[in-house]
Amino acid sequence: MSASQSAVRSRAEAVQVSRTLDWMILFTLFTAVLGGYHIHYMLTGGDWDFWSDWKDRRLWVTVAPIVSITFPAAVQAMLWYRYRLPFGAIVCILALMLGEWINRYLNFWGWTYFPVNFCFPSNLIPGAILLDVVLMLSSSFVLTAVIGGMAWGLVFYPGNWPIIAPLHVPVEYNGMMFTLADLQGYHYVRTGTPEYIRMVEKGTLRTFGKDVAPVSAFFSAFVSIIIYFLWHYFGRWFNKTDFISGEGI
Amino acid sequence: MKTIKDKVAKLSFVALLMALTSAMFYTPTASAHGEKSQAAFMRMRTIHWFDLDWSKDEVAVNDTMTISGKFHVFAGWPETVDKPEVSFLNIGIPGPVFIRAGSWIGGQLVPRSVSLELGDTYEFKVLLKARRPGDWHVHTMMNVEGGGPIIGPGKWVTITGSMSEFVNPLTTLTGQTIDLEDYALDNVYFWHALWYSIGLAWLIFWIKRPMFIPRHIAVTSGKADTLISATDKKVAIGFAVGTLALLMYGMGSTNEKYPITTPLQAGLMRGIKPIEMPETSVAVKVEDATYRVPGRAMQMTLTITNNGDSAIRLGEFNTASVRFLDADVLEDESGYPDDLLAEEGLTVSDNSPIAPGESRTVEVTASDAAWEVYRLADLIYDPDSRFAGLLFFFDEDGNRQMVMVDAPLIPSFI
Repeated sequence: MSASQSAVRSRAEAVQVSRTLDWMILFTLFTAVLGGYHIHYMLTGGDWDFWSDWKDRRLWVTVAPIVSITFPAAVQAMLWYRYRLPFGAIVCILALMLGEWINRYLNFWGWTYFPVNFCFPSNLIPGAILLDVVLMLSSSFVLTAVIGGMAWGLVFYPGNWPIIAPLHVPVEYNGMMFTLADLQGYHYVRTGTPEYIRMVEKGTLRTFGKDVAPVSAFFSAFVSIIIYFLWHYFGRWFNKTDFISGEGI
Repeated sequence: MKTIKDKVAKLSFVALLMALTSAMFYTPTASAHGEKSQAAFMRMRTIHWFDLDWSKDEVAVNDTMTISGKFHVFAGWPETVDKPEVSFLNIGIPGPVFIRAGSWIGGQLVPRSVSLELGDTYEFKVLLKARRPGDWHVHTMMNVEGGGPIIGPGKWVTITGSMSEFVNPLTTLTGQTIDLEDYALDNVYFWHALWYSIGLAWLIFWIKRPMFIPRHIAVTSGKADTLISATDKKVAIGFAVGTLALLMYGMGSTNEKYPITTPLQAGLMRGIKPIEMPETSVAVKVEDATYRVPGRAMQMTLTITNNGDSAIRLGEFNTASVRFLDADVLEDESGYPDDLLAEEGLTVSDNSPIAPGESRTVEVTASDAAWEVYRLADLIYDPDSRFAGLLFFFDEDGNRQMVMVDAPLIPSFI
């Protein structure tokens, strides 16, 4: 077979090869993102995502969306720019959450016996769907960053509240008031995570009374927009095609 | 010859594979907590644990035990470690094999970080409820912000029974009785499964059609706009609207189901009460101190002055949780961990009672393999070569007095 001949002999065979490549590329993308994104998110979001007693209404709401919009922005840039495929965000989040659940179930529960209701991951799927839909409908990265990035930050807390609310029911214990999540953190001993490194309810956002979660979400949303732009360009840079001149070879 | 060589090579390869495979199945339990690796000066010059009592050696799942005792916050706290202004009374166990049902310093419940004062002595108690069967090394521990975990002595405790029987019942302020072990777990699984399914549906909608090569060809040939159909847009709008609707429903139904919720509780606890230690009537001056490396022994020249009204004898030197006792004066009856107890490890050149008003200079030797086993000998490699510890004196009636010593240490290599 010469170099000018096709590797396939019929249209049906071409379609079959194309589909096989589809699955191979998708599988590779999914697992590569699962690994890379998971490490990134564990290093930057870390304890906020690990433990129910870190999931507060200020810093968790602020930090988690900002550090998690990264890979979705980059992968969206690649999949939309090259293929007009609007699933960059959701494929990242599905990969991340699969990895997180494997980690939480097998490691946190299976090896070290922390109850799953104490170490479940945050839910990022609503924001990912909105991010993909905005990109698809607008076909604009600017609008996706502004509207999608804003939505990403804003829907994070509502998307997680049904999961964490039962753990915010108060309880009296030995003469002090706790939430059930606080008590989980106290009961289930973490030798390497002393109480003082728990960054919850810190900051100067004191003029909004008890309604600080929406304010934190707005701040997170604004920063998410900026981070989206930054990581979008990382994505563009990573999937660019460079040609070199033959003269130098 | 070649056949034999081939056979040897093949068998060697098989043996190598078998060795590797069997090595994978050998997974011994890692039960230490790095207590021996912690810098010796950290253990000698920060928190001194004493009078410790592990209430049980064996405990059944759901039963409780306590660790109680005292700790002295060393006044000569090392410069390289942040002061214990933000500290947390922890417990050194391999994960939640017990739950910490309560912890107190000076009678005050301390679920949060506390501020400790240098030079003060505090009483503490930790209540543990057994959760996971096994043999566990249970340590006292104080986490200090900017200093890290400062681990105290550990003792083996056996938990019997089955973890499946463990329960952690609580009654909330809304009157609901729950088991915290699996409370709201179904709710966690439900919402995650629901959202994951929706996300997966969005992905499947796109990946069921040809993806990369045909679409790339279309994009590069200027037909990108044809790749998104009107139906695609309708489906996308459906997903977006559905997502927003589910979010609103989730918020509404949750607030209806849990009308009373509070924010996470946090904050530093100050004003923890120390023990009112009686004024000591014994004065100790460290004239010199050397550590003899080959003999695993520390020698101190002490000038002891008895300002009290009863004769005293030196019974114990306690440093980094290792207790060196003079068996003629003191016998341990607390069940202190054997590896940290040198029952005859303290030798005093003249340990006859020091009469009231008398001042005597004596040679005190603390020797035991623990210096090496617990890597306290590594003190000579620390940047600030000083030692510290507690001396316990006993009068004729058996009353005890505690004196803190802190002095430079000179190593001796011959």
